[in-house]
Amino acid sequence: MRAEITELASKLRKREISAVELTKTYIDAIEKRNPTLNSYVHLTFDTALKAAEQADQMLKEGDAPLLCGIPMALKDNICTDGLLTTCCSKILDGFKPYYDATVWEKLKAQGAVLLGKTNMDEFAMGSTSETSCYGAPLNPINTAYVTGGSSGGSASAVCAGLAVYSLGSDTGGSIRQPASFCGVVGLKPTYGAVSRYGLIAYGSSLDQIGPLTLNVKDAAIVFDAIKGGDKRDQTSVYHDYGVSLAECLDRDVKGMHIGVAEEFFDGINPEIKSKIVEAINLFEKNGAVIENIRLPALKIALPVYYIIACAEASSNLGRYDGIRYGHRASSYTSIEDMIVKTRSEGFGDEVKRRIMLGTYVLSSGYYDAYYKKACLIREEINREFDAVFEKCDVLIAPTAPNTAFPLNYKGASPVEMYLSDICTVPINIAGIPAISIPCGKDSKGLPIGMQIIGKKFDEATVLQTAYFYEQNSGIKAGVYEGGTRA
Amino acid sequence: MAITKTEIEKLAKLARLSFTDEELERFTAEFDEIIAFADTINQSIEGGTAEIRSVGARMVSFDDLRSDEVVPSLPNDKILSNVEGYNGFFSLERSKK
Repeated sequence: MRAEITELASKLRKREISAVELTKTYIDAIEKRNPTLNSYVHLTFDTALKAAEQADQMLKEGDAPLLCGIPMALKDNICTDGLLTTCCSKILDGFKPYYDATVWEKLKAQGAVLLGKTNMDEFAMGSTSETSCYGAPLNPINTAYVTGGSSGGSASAVCAGLAVYSLGSDTGGSIRQPASFCGVVGLKPTYGAVSRYGLIAYGSSLDQIGPLTLNVKDAAIVFDAIKGGDKRDQTSVYHDYGVSLAECLDRDVKGMHIGVAEEFFDGINPEIKSKIVEAINLFEKNGAVIENIRLPALKIALPVYYIIACAEASSNLGRYDGIRYGHRASSYTSIEDMIVKTRSEGFGDEVKRRIMLGTYVLSSGYYDAYYKKACLIREEINREFDAVFEKCDVLIAPTAPNTAFPLNYKGASPVEMYLSDICTVPINIAGIPAISIPCGKDSKGLPIGMQIIGKKFDEATVLQTAYFYEQNSGIKAGVYEGGTRA
Repeated sequence: MAITKTEIEKLAKLARLSFTDEELERFTAEFDEIIAFADTINQSIEGGTAEIRSVGARMVSFDDLRSDEVVPSLPNDKILSNVEGYNGFFSLERSKK
């Protein structure tokens, strides 16, 4: 089943369908398709049906929020009280958090129905979701290809009609890139716009939670529901967005200044470049002013990102010692030996690589040459974006330099995979918002994503620009037409 | 700069990780490429780099700190519910015989 939030909310209010019936429809779809797609790694059908009953009661009483009774999914790194949350890592095997993440607390209060936790790269480290300890989710558009990552299960579930919407997290493109690969919409909000309390940390100064949806309006509705400051996350911000962003999406782009930076197009697949240029032409034809701009520091954004993210990861992942939760080695000779064995058995190769790089750049003798320098260049990247947004309302760029990779692709080294994050990481470094929306397909029929990037806390303009494109281009989210698991 | 196996072993010790000989061989080769990638941070960019202001401070606002008050915390039994073999204390395998 594939339906928009407003359409389902209307049916629920008119009692054309109950929340329980709607939930059962999605459960049936998951039971049928998840064995192939592997979008979900933990299913929560019992609690979903109870939540749906409560939602029906709220709807009966009237005045229920828009998301009441709508079935949805959460990435497996968002804590849910009493429900498995494992970051798709062996080291968190069996872990059931004892509190809810703020985003889930907010959605639950609005009557959301959680169907399960979605597949992802282990600890959100990867670009294909293949580092998951549960095996990779498949791309519903073509099951021989990856979903992208790290929120690959969240993108796959929405694309295949296994959830109306899902939440993912984005540290260097982990919402936008899988949205692009699966042909759905993915919003990475401004750093601080959404509380990170209860999000299992990877790179704390970069991580941000956001929605994956079938269309721009749904992304705005979900963002409206989860945004806001939180005393439990000192980096969150009490920003006054004024009205509901979902209610002010209609905006003419006439006179809007749209920036295009050549640095985002270096080494991009020509088919992707051509679709983005078509989109830029559409905006120009409708009266937008296209500004050719430069962002020279983007050239070194990738190493800056990997140095900062891995430094933070090496510290954040220091807590996994096998004592208080998760996997513990079965035999050891001392406590130190137990910790080393637990971590070595529990973490996968990509996580180990990033912990090692983080340890290296923070170690004595290298701190100034890597970490401190990366922080310095981060300031420069911020300054460049600030200057660009003096004259531009939004920027347009590809979401990724390529469409989805084939599953089990062995042709790229770890560093070559890191290079595929080139279009998304600068946005996390600067802490600004960006959305990925479908903008066509390549010659293999794989979706292409376009990124619309805005200034801090200006999600309104980002969403309005995306909505304009969606309404005027006629391009919709990709559709799952069946497929098999090899 | 080529990274040596000894350096990888030293880093692994700091990171509380261990590798088999085969893993160490593979990891050293991969890590060499990763460090070369990290070194590209030293490329020059147009306009140079900005003066560092205060690393980290930009991300955190100190204008709205919560007051230092004791508030109810989660119950111990809930917090310890994930501990394997918890019985009033953390139980690990005997390491001194």
